[in-house]
Amino acid sequence: MFDIAHILDVLIESYPLFMKGLWITLKLTVVSILIGTGIGLIFALFKISGIKILNWIANIYIALIRGTPLIVQIFIFYFGLAELGISAFWSAAFGLAMHNGAYIAEIFRGSIQSVDRGQMEAGRSLGMTYGLTMRRIILPQAFKRALPPLGNQFIIGLKDSSLASFIALSELFSIATTQGSRTFDEMTYLIIVGLYYLVLVLLFTLLVNMLEKKLSAGE
Amino acid sequence: MKKEMIKIENLKKSFGDLEVLKEVNLDVHESDVVVLIGASGSGKSTLLRCINFLEIKNGGKIVIEGEEVDPKSHNLNEVRQKVGMVFQHFNLFPHKTVLENVMEAPVMVKNQDKKEAEKEARVLLEKVGLSDKADVYPAKLSGGQKQRVAIARALAMKPDIMLFDEPTSALDPELVGEVLATMKELAQEGMTMVVVTHEMGFAKEVADEVVYMHDGQIWERGTPQELFNNPQEERTKDFLSSIL
Ligand SMILES: Nc1ncnc2c1ncn2[C@@H]1O[C@H](COP(=O)(O)OP(=O)(O)OP(=O)(O)O)[C@@H](O)[C@H]1O
Ligand SMILES: [Mg+2]
Repeated sequence: MFDIAHILDVLIESYPLFMKGLWITLKLTVVSILIGTGIGLIFALFKISGIKILNWIANIYIALIRGTPLIVQIFIFYFGLAELGISAFWSAAFGLAMHNGAYIAEIFRGSIQSVDRGQMEAGRSLGMTYGLTMRRIILPQAFKRALPPLGNQFIIGLKDSSLASFIALSELFSIATTQGSRTFDEMTYLIIVGLYYLVLVLLFTLLVNMLEKKLSAGE
Repeated sequence: MKKEMIKIENLKKSFGDLEVLKEVNLDVHESDVVVLIGASGSGKSTLLRCINFLEIKNGGKIVIEGEEVDPKSHNLNEVRQKVGMVFQHFNLFPHKTVLENVMEAPVMVKNQDKKEAEKEARVLLEKVGLSDKADVYPAKLSGGQKQRVAIARALAMKPDIMLFDEPTSALDPELVGEVLATMKELAQEGMTMVVVTHEMGFAKEVADEVVYMHDGQIWERGTPQELFNNPQEERTKDFLSSIL
């Protein structure tokens, strides 16, 4: 059923096209995870602040994002931001960032709360402010613990970025579908694009493992 | 008359419905070592934590070095710089080396020059006998060494008062001595100290005053002589016989 020689031929032949898509996918993923990490950190701090109104804002945000399909969110961002003259790339990036942000907020909240209470008390007893203790003592430890689930979220984010094909962004997946329907050879292109994602995920997993080892060195 | 470093009047603290401190009065003078003893749950830790405002009192007055501290209007971070604290579980910063642990607050809070802070940190590590551990992470230390680093870290802020909450309770018995020795040395240098401990030997030898707490109140206080050899209250007698 699978003609491996044929798949290899198409793989080599379509390589330049997929590289363009790959570049967009990577940009989209990295940008949306970076912004998402910022958003996640802010909402995580809201959640643990003990300030009711901030708590509420964070809870509503997380409930909205988790309670609706990502594709709906991407379209809302796309149509909403298009009116402001924002490109498809950036509306997809913001949509994915907001989406990742909700999950990353929960990751950070968990990892911050897993740091022993005594750490905050030790910082405060030395005259450090809440903010300073958070920044210098709690967050570095929390971030280290958040790294495995963050890596996992990055992988989810990478695969989720394929939904941006619905708003006409020529990332990896949309290259596969357009090429597939142009050549009536959908299956071959789907297998190829699957391979691209697989390799990306494996490379990224390796990178996270290395980073984790490096960070835990010494302690 | 020695300077009054801590004065507490009618201090009250509750957690929800639970009244943990009921009208506590206490005064601690300069260079004095006050040892707090009492059964589990009697409020010893809560009293210490109120003194450096890790817990906020519900009533009464706390005067630190002659100045009444109102948590609402005072900068508590400044008050805490004068009152160092050592915890039962050390609470060292695991992602920082021993030297960085000691330097952190002087550099970040007092904006002390890094070189100068390092020099002072090394002097303190020398003092607690851990010069050779400066570049090690806390995970590589024994409990006794951790606690001595914690003492050095607190001293780095040059506090006028040191609070110790069961500093040796989490240690293997053979490591208790080294920490008590460090504390004794500190006492001899004239540090004002409030110490919660079950080490009665330390209390007898070092304390100027022993305070027995029961049920959120100061039940009896006196010199180690008075309290250990001639307690006046039945409860104190019971407690002392239960721990000896
Ligand atoms: N944050 C808190 N929330 C609720 N209850 C608390 C809190 N901290 C302390 N308590 C309660 O207050 C009482 C006194 O506690 P505290 O820790 O001051 O006692 P202690 O004398 O230090 O005891 P131990 O010898 O066990 O350390 C206990 O009943 C404890 O459960
Ligand atoms: Mg206690």
